[in-house]
Parts: sequence; structure tokens; C-alpha cells
Amino acid sequence: MQCFARWLASERIFPKIPFVLVESLFIVTILIPFILTIYISFLKWRANRPFETAQFSGFENYEAVLTSDQFWLALGRTFYFAGVAVTIELVVGFVLAMLVSECTRSKKLYTTIFLVPMMIVPIVVGYNFSMIYIDSGPLNQLLAPFLEPFGIDPRIRWLSHPVAAQFAIIIADIWQWTSLTFLIFLSGFSALPRQLINAARVMGATPWQIFWRVQFPLLKPAIMIAIIIRSMEALKLFDPVVLLTFGGPGTSTQTVAYFLWEQVWVFNKFSFGAAASILLLLIFSVLIYFGIYLLIRQSAVGRTA
Amino acid sequence: MAQISIEDLVKTFGGYTAVSGINLEIRDGEFLIMVGPSGCGKTTTLNMISGLEMPTNGRIVIGGTVVNDLEPGERGLGMVFQDLALFPHMTVFENIAFGLRIKKVPDDEVRARVNAAAAAVHIQALLDKLPRHCSGGESQRVALARTIVTNPAVFLMDEPLSSLDAKLRVDMRTELKSLHKRLGATFVYVTHDQAEAMTMADRIVVMSKGRVEQVGTPLEIYNRPATRFVAGFFGMPTMNFLEGTVEANDGARRFRMAGLEHPLPDAVPAELAGRMVVLGVRAEHVLVGDDAAHPGTAQLTEPLGDATLVHFDSGQGIRLVAKIGPATAIQPGSLLKFRFASESCHLFAVEDGARLF
Amino acid sequence: MTAATLNPEQARARRIRRERVRRIVRHAILLSWTAIIVFPIFWMISTSFKDTGEWVTWPPRWLPHAPTLHNYAQIFAFSSMDPSLSRQAAEQAFSIWKGLGDAVLVCTIAALLALLLGTFLAYAISRFNVGGKYFRYTTLTIRMIPPIVVAISILIYYAVLIPYATSALFGTRISLFDTYVGLILIYTVTTLPFVIWMMLTFIDEVPYTLEHAARLMGAGRITVIRRVVLPLVASGMVVTFLFVFILNWAEFLLALTLTHPEVTTLTVLLNKFQSASEGRLYGPQAAIGTMITIPVVVLGIMIQKHLVKGFSFGTIRR
Repeated sequence: MQCFARWLASERIFPKIPFVLVESLFIVTILIPFILTIYISFLKWRANRPFETAQFSGFENYEAVLTSDQFWLALGRTFYFAGVAVTIELVVGFVLAMLVSECTRSKKLYTTIFLVPMMIVPIVVGYNFSMIYIDSGPLNQLLAPFLEPFGIDPRIRWLSHPVAAQFAIIIADIWQWTSLTFLIFLSGFSALPRQLINAARVMGATPWQIFWRVQFPLLKPAIMIAIIIRSMEALKLFDPVVLLTFGGPGTSTQTVAYFLWEQVWVFNKFSFGAAASILLLLIFSVLIYFGIYLLIRQSAVGRTA
Repeated sequence: MAQISIEDLVKTFGGYTAVSGINLEIRDGEFLIMVGPSGCGKTTTLNMISGLEMPTNGRIVIGGTVVNDLEPGERGLGMVFQDLALFPHMTVFENIAFGLRIKKVPDDEVRARVNAAAAAVHIQALLDKLPRHCSGGESQRVALARTIVTNPAVFLMDEPLSSLDAKLRVDMRTELKSLHKRLGATFVYVTHDQAEAMTMADRIVVMSKGRVEQVGTPLEIYNRPATRFVAGFFGMPTMNFLEGTVEANDGARRFRMAGLEHPLPDAVPAELAGRMVVLGVRAEHVLVGDDAAHPGTAQLTEPLGDATLVHFDSGQGIRLVAKIGPATAIQPGSLLKFRFASESCHLFAVEDGARLF
Repeated sequence: MTAATLNPEQARARRIRRERVRRIVRHAILLSWTAIIVFPIFWMISTSFKDTGEWVTWPPRWLPHAPTLHNYAQIFAFSSMDPSLSRQAAEQAFSIWKGLGDAVLVCTIAALLALLLGTFLAYAISRFNVGGKYFRYTTLTIRMIPPIVVAISILIYYAVLIPYATSALFGTRISLFDTYVGLILIYTVTTLPFVIWMMLTFIDEVPYTLEHAARLMGAGRITVIRRVVLPLVASGMVVTFLFVFILNWAEFLLALTLTHPEVTTLTVLLNKFQSASEGRLYGPQAAIGTMITIPVVVLGIMIQKHLVKGFSFGTIRR
């Protein structure tokens, strides 16, 4: 026993213990299910029938996914949501960070407040906004003075109009995640050396010139990071869709994650879902590799001396 | 004209007074150095001249115009910062050109002026490089070129050489001095290094704890320090200080303390008789030789190459340093005899360090 | 001489005016955003104190006219825990206890497991470069798989393969679907990359020479870790634990797809009440929402300082 313990503690073996533990955990919980999914994707099987009745069906499922209009619509819609939301989050977060970093006394207070939305459970965010969007909700109340003079009934059911519902989701995302871009940019602004701005001031630069020529170029790495991080998360959009709109009205707010969820948990089309998830993974992998490539190139550019 | 007047300048941060009532006249075209230990207020004063800090009280007048409310960029200054503050995302060329580009100077004029500024500090080869690819000395010159290119009448420099290694620092001192002569502008320079101040300045302003201790040429500061602080700050090694009383016995002046009695020049005023004073003697004015009167035992010798420092003990806790010639037989433990070159004794008040003689 | 030609009076007035305008505009913008942030949260808290009649009035009331604790009483009611109630009746009752209990259990255990394993591995990576130069980045790729893909794979795994395998090997059919073990396992795995990443930054800050010194004085490997490394990264471990706990607490997709009703976390609970009832019970829902949010916001504010520090990667290079 003593020998075994010593062998475990030896220089060669000791570090490998956690590695083996974690890797086997990953294999058991991620790799095996993944392989299983690939296998399932080649079968023809609905979950309400026993497993044994599944038959091999080749690429049929993949074909079904790739020819499904709903799939492509959901995918496109996901990119659309992500694009609009992330762009607005970047701009708003940047402006907020810039303004807050100029404050002296209230900086900490504003920072604490602005970070709160990020900490609210996404499901609760969805719930909050659903309360605000109902026809007798405060949003309509605030808009009423603008609509009533035109004879429009202010009790609008926002979530019943496809376009409005889409914006409802985008707005919920912006409300929550602007905190993250704000955080990244705030760190960026804080890291700017103070003397650079002083040097520019002594040379007579106006505040606008200082911003455009000195601060903004030095913040480009932060912008890249914010874009990459936020985009990757935004494409997975799911929680607000479930709570706010159920993908509706109709299918107009279905994101691709929601679409998959519906196929598997509501319609029990397991093999279709398996194939779709493999395809989705492939698409995401391409994007992720691209993102990592950009990230590494960004920090490499910064680090070479 | 680029003379600067500083009138009753005060700066407080909350309860802390960084600068308390400074009055200074800086002449047009002179190389003025503000020197003092950390926290003495020299950098704060410089920042108020540049406009990066607002004075709590007092006025700053540049070339006859009161500039208290002018933006830093409107005062016609150039400034070199301690950490150089080169823009890391711009090439050396663009760094230098920055001040011109802001004022929308046309391209060919920019190119001509940048090249001229670069030539003045010998960095033409670096123009396309990025600051992080430049060495310490090269970056230093880029910072200088950046200030030269806008032709300011006043150059402000905040410890620009402190990030360079010793040899480079000495080389840059000569370059800065010759640059000053060529440009003819007013240089206001801040440092904590007394050797830098001595070698480069036309006039020195010695500061301590937010106050001016003395203003004068380097030789004035060295030979007639106005306070004990100034005397101790300049000179390597530090001046020897002894505390004792002045005696005046019918014409002859003497300095007396436990274990030592030394004659003083007759010029010492009679009012000082009976008073406690601090006697200051520089190491090079402690003369060692067989014709001297006072005994001592050497403790440590430091050969400098062109001179030797001898630390010795004269009993009763009297410890002194003498600077003597390079070839000497004195060793730790040797007995020696010493006296002070009496024309070079300084007397300071015990209470406030003010010069008495 | 390029000094301005304004006289001092004008210059001072101009400067003061400019600064004041700038400050007003700045605070106006920041305060507007503060209002936007506070509003939905305020609305939820306000609704949680409203009585039934005030939930969907028009025009909506911002503050309840007759504030009541009824909603909170309802969600904290113990009556639904009565074992003699049928399963259906128990589900209909708006009790928060099941969700709260399950969430606390799952989140804490998963966070602890991830913390233990992750810290151990982070130590090995930091000191011994286990797994190669880029291992710390490749573990993050786990995190990049879309959660829905993970959910589908794990669902089939838990509900089909494992029962199939266990009944074939051991004769008894064990399914991990809708079990505590199942959810804890997947939460641990998906948060491990974060733990590894964060603990790596903390452990890297502890100089390896400290451990060398201790070993030279005769300490064994475990003793060195226990007495030298752990005390120095203890605060880092707390921050990491809280961060992972918050992630688990807020997690919805995996919980929705892999559990219920045996295991029901708070997020799933909220959703269920959202979709189940005909006339939605806004009051109790708001109360549940508030209860879900408070712990997280409090914890989040506590670790906020560390978040700001951790996100300043790669922004400025000299």
C-alpha cells in the first residue's frame, strides 16, 4: 500500500492523475454520447417506438434536415437575431463604458448597476419582458400618449405580431447582454495608459481627436474579443424564445436551437434531431475555428516584439 | 518671448499640500532644472505649468499671458513624459507627426518637418518602426522629436532620463544640452538626480516638501547652499555635518564640540557666539596629512579611480568622510591626521537649517 | 508663440461652461440606461406584491395599491408537500420548495465536484504542463458546443443507451434521465472548463519556488499542496465556486430537456408555471422570479471586482 501511494506521488504519475480523471469523465459524458448521436442519426427511429425497431437508413435524415425549409429559416433567423442584437450591444456597451470611465465619483456605482442584468437568470429576464409586453403592460402605457391621438388602440399585443415578437426577443437579449460588452470595454478603457491622453492634450488635440486617434485604435483588440464572445453566445439563443414566444407566432421567432428542441422533445423525431444536431455542430465548428483563429491572431499581433 | 512667471502657486489635494506658495521667474531661453527628492512637488509644479493640473491658488504667466484657464494644447508648450507616452499603435513617423496632423498641416509640410525633427535627434532610420521595436534610448529620442516638431517656445520635461541605464543617461545629458543650445527655447526640466541638475542646468531650483529651498546657478548652489537641506542634497559623497557651538574669544572664532575643536574664519559674525550650529564640510575640504592637528582612525576606504574616499572615526562618535588623492597608503585601521579647509566651512542653524555663514 | 488670444475671463467661462454641459449630458445618458435596467426588475418585484386583481389592469399600476405578501405565502406554502396529495395536485400547487431544494442540491454539488476536479487538473497543468501547451485552450472548446446539441446527445445517452447497456450487463435497467446524478454529472462536465481556466490564472500566480522551498524542508507532495498552495488560492477557489454556482443556477436548457418532474430546478419551475396555466398567475410567478434572482444578484455583486479584472485580456499591448 505504501509503495502504491509513493508510486502515485511520483513526479511522473502524480500530475497525470487529474488528467486521466478528467479526460475519462469527458470521454464518458461527451465523447460516447456524441458517437452515439452520430449512430442514431443514421437510423430511422421515432422515440415512441422501442429502440429495437429502428432501421438503418443511411443519409435519409440528413437529407430531411437539409431540405427542411423550417431548419434553414430558423438558422437564418438565428443569425439575424444575433447580428442585430450583438451590433447594438457593442455600440451601447462601448458608449456606456466610455462615459463611465470618465466619471470620477460615481464610477463604481454605475459599474455595479450596469453589471446587474448579466447576473439575472435568463429565464427570469424572459419572464420580465413577457410581463412588459402584454397588452395591458407598461410598455403600451408608455406609448399610449403617442398612439391615441392617431386613433390607434394602445393595447397592442406585441407578442402576436411576427416582426414585433422578433424585436421583443432581440430587445430582451440586448437588455441582458449589453452588460458583458460594457464590462469588456470598461476593462479596455481602464487599461489605457493615462499619459498617452495627457501627451495628446499637451499637443493640442481636441477630445474628439483624442478619442478617434488614440483611444479607439487601442481598443480594437477589446472590440474583437467582444464581437467573438458575444456572437458565439448569441447564436445559441434559446431561453427567451421558450419563455416569451414559444417560437411564435407560428414559427416566426424560432431560433435554430428552439427548432431542434421542438423536433426532439415535442415531436419525438429522435433521429431527425440527431442528424440536425450533428449538422449544427459542424456549422458551429467552422464558426468557432474562425473565431479562435481571429482571437489567436489578435493576441499574436499584440505580443510579437 | 517665452519667459515664465510663477506667482504664489499653491496646490492642495484634499488635505495634503503638494505645493505651498512658489514664486519663480524663468528667463527666456534658459535651461532651468527643478530638483528635489520624491514628493517635493516638482512634478506637480510642472503639471501646473503644462495645464494638466489646475492650481488651487496662484497664477502662471507664459510670455506675458496668464494661462491658468487655457487648455494644455493652447499654451504653446512641448512636453516629454517620464514614461515617454509614445503611441504604441503608430509608427515613429506618425508619433512625431501627431501634433501636426491634429492641426491639419498639409502632407508635404508634415513630411518635411518630421524629417527635420528626426534629423535633429538622429533617428531618421527609425521612422517606419513601431515604438515597441525601439530601444530605450531610441524611444527617448522619438519623444524628443515629437516635441521639437511643433516648434514650441517652452519645453517641459518630467524626469525623461530616469528609465535609461547609467551610461545612456550620461550620453543623453550631453545631447540634451546641445539640443538646448541649438534650439534656443526655454527648457523646464524636472529630476531627482542632483548630478543631472549640476551638469545640465543654467539655473537650478531646489525644492523640498512643496517649497523652494534655493534658486541659483549650479556653482552657487554647490558653493553657497542656502540651507542645510541643499547642502546635503548636492555633492557626492554627502557633506559632513557636525553639531556644536561657536566660540568667539577676542577675535578668534572657534567651533567646539565634544571631542573636537576647530578654528573658524574670522569673518564669522560675532552674534553667533555661544550659539548651537551645524558645521558643514564637504569631503574634498577635509584635508588629511601629517601637518594636520586632529587625530582619526580610518574605518573604510573606497577607491574611485581618480580619488579615494576615506571614512574615518575621530572618537566620541565623530564620523567623517574625506576625499583624497588616488595614491594613498591609508588602510582600514591606519591612523591619520585631519583638518578642515577653513575657508570652506558652512554654518547652519540647528532649528531650521538656514545658512548662518 | 502659439498661445490662444482669449483673455483669461473668457477662457475661464468657456472652460467651466464646457465642462458642465459635458457632465450633464454624460449623466443624463447614464441615468437613462440605469432606468432601462432597473425598470423590468422593479416591475417584477412590484408585481410580486400585487394581489390577484391588480395583475393585468389597464392602465397598469406601477405600485400595488394594496401590497400583499399573499403571493410569497403561496409559493412558500408547505401544503403542497403533503405526501397524501396526488402527483397532479402537487404539481398544480405553486410551491417553490421543490424547485429551490433541487436547485440548491444540484448546483452546489455540481459546483463542488467541478471545483475539486478542476482545481486538481489546473494544478497539474500549471506545474507540469500536462496535456501539452494548448490544453488550457482545448478544454474551452467543450464549452463551445451548442447546448442543444449536448442536450440531444445526452438525452439519447441517458434515456436509451445507458438503460440498454445496464440491462444487458447487469440485468437491471438504470436510466439517468430525470435523475439527480444525471443532471449533476452534465453540469459538472460543462462547467469544468471554466473552473480549469479560472483556477489556472490563480494557481499561476503562486510561484512554484514556494513549493520547492517546502519540499526541500521535507514536506511531502500532498502536504505542500495542502499547506502552501491551497491557502494562497483559497479566495480564488471561492470566487470560482460562486461563479460556477451562478452558472448552474441560471441554467435552463439542459435542465428543461433532461429532467422533470423528479428533478425540477427553479428555472424549469418558472417555465412550467408560465406555460401550464390558462390564466397566468402573474403574482406568484413574479414572486418566484424575485426569489430566483436575489441570491444571484447578491453573489454577483460580491464577485464583481474579480470579473472586471478577469476580462481585461489582450486589450492593450505595449
